[in-house]
Amino acid sequence: MIQVSSLVKRFKTKTAVSNLNFKAKAGEIVGFLGPNGAGKTTTMRLLLGYLFPSAGVIKIDKLNPWDERIEVLKKIGYLPENNPLYPEMKVREYLSFIAKIKEADNLESVMELVSLNQVREDKIEELSRGYKQRVGLAAALLGKPEILILDEPTSGLDPLEQEKIRSLIKKLSQEKTIIFSTHILSEVEDIANRLMIINEGKIVYDGVKPKGRGGVEKLFKKLVKTNNY
Amino acid sequence: MWTLYKKELDYYLNNPIGYIVVGLFAVFANFLFVKDIFVNGTTSMRPFFNLIPWLFLVFIPALAMRIVAEEKRINTLEILLTLPISETQIILAKFLALLTLVILGLILTLGLPISLALLSKIYLPEIIVGYIGTLFLAAAIISLSLFFSAQTKNQVVAFLLSVLTTFLLMLLSTDFFASILPKTLQDLCSYFSPTYHLQNFVKGVIDFRSLFYFFSFTLIFLFLTIVDLEKRN
Repeated sequence: MIQVSSLVKRFKTKTAVSNLNFKAKAGEIVGFLGPNGAGKTTTMRLLLGYLFPSAGVIKIDKLNPWDERIEVLKKIGYLPENNPLYPEMKVREYLSFIAKIKEADNLESVMELVSLNQVREDKIEELSRGYKQRVGLAAALLGKPEILILDEPTSGLDPLEQEKIRSLIKKLSQEKTIIFSTHILSEVEDIANRLMIINEGKIVYDGVKPKGRGGVEKLFKKLVKTNNY
Repeated sequence: MWTLYKKELDYYLNNPIGYIVVGLFAVFANFLFVKDIFVNGTTSMRPFFNLIPWLFLVFIPALAMRIVAEEKRINTLEILLTLPISETQIILAKFLALLTLVILGLILTLGLPISLALLSKIYLPEIIVGYIGTLFLAAAIISLSLFFSAQTKNQVVAFLLSVLTTFLLMLLSTDFFASILPKTLQDLCSYFSPTYHLQNFVKGVIDFRSLFYFFSFTLIFLFLTIVDLEKRN
């Protein structure tokens, strides 16, 4: 489903992503872990065709995200870091806008799934952070995408909201490929069935998550010696 | 594209800023023309069409300044650019939404030719061509303002750059500029001024060169804005 070969992204003097290689198939929940500035968001943006690689190849269902951008984006649901939304729009109005662009027919079922019905006529700027995150997630789910790319989906949420989002991701994983980035090591333990650790633009671990409570943390500390995490 | 067009238009129509800018444009356009009509004793719409570029100079950049800059500032541009919609569709939707608002503003000035027609005889084709020229001028200034809005996250910077550039282009065909330039350069500079090309329309003449100027000006700035989005600057 997703195939990345020799992917490199340079920004002027900095190499954000260096020689990345991985594959992800349907049903996988890939936990993408790494310290700040490791290249997680850049990799996700490259997968979406939002950024252009300096070198390397990405194939999403055999399609190239730059040459066949529109086709690729129909297959991907994306929740960006910090979840930007149009604050002046109402929840249903915003989701309906995204649904029309995606030509999606699952607006009502998605709103039901992420429990947004009680705030459907509320303005986005008036919502709590948890609800805003749900709106972002709902937007990503419109159009029944085969792939979900979630950049820190539980960032800044209280533990209760985090748990709700996590169980939703687990629920969705049966039929989709999910790649999510996070800073929360226990989150990877909870929901991922595969772990990828990226550090300084390079994948330093790609495989099954270590067994046992605290296994991910031990592995992460062993592989990533950094002060900014 | 039409979904985004509707969203952009809705933003202005559900927001006081849209009504304020379009309303003020209509008030100024009507007032500035009417205040002189009795002094000049003329029933021609030419003074109105000569006034319009100076109003567009401020009002169009005021409408357009947020259209990409704000998306960059709050990062919703990332949302748009990761939806199955092309950069060309994004820019065209925004361009057409702004053009629609300007058309709404111009509709609010239609009372002027109607009043003139009631007072005396008017030459309707000249007025129609004048309005067509005004629309071409609006399209050119919108494309320029859209381009500057895409260059920055700061709406004020976008506004100032648009006003300054449009002002300089308009200056090129003024007597002031003519007096300080050699004759050979005067014609060349005038050709690049949108107000110079508007003059043909104001006289009721649809000049192919002026049409070409407005079309190419608008397309060049739309193209540059699309390229800028594609480059993800």
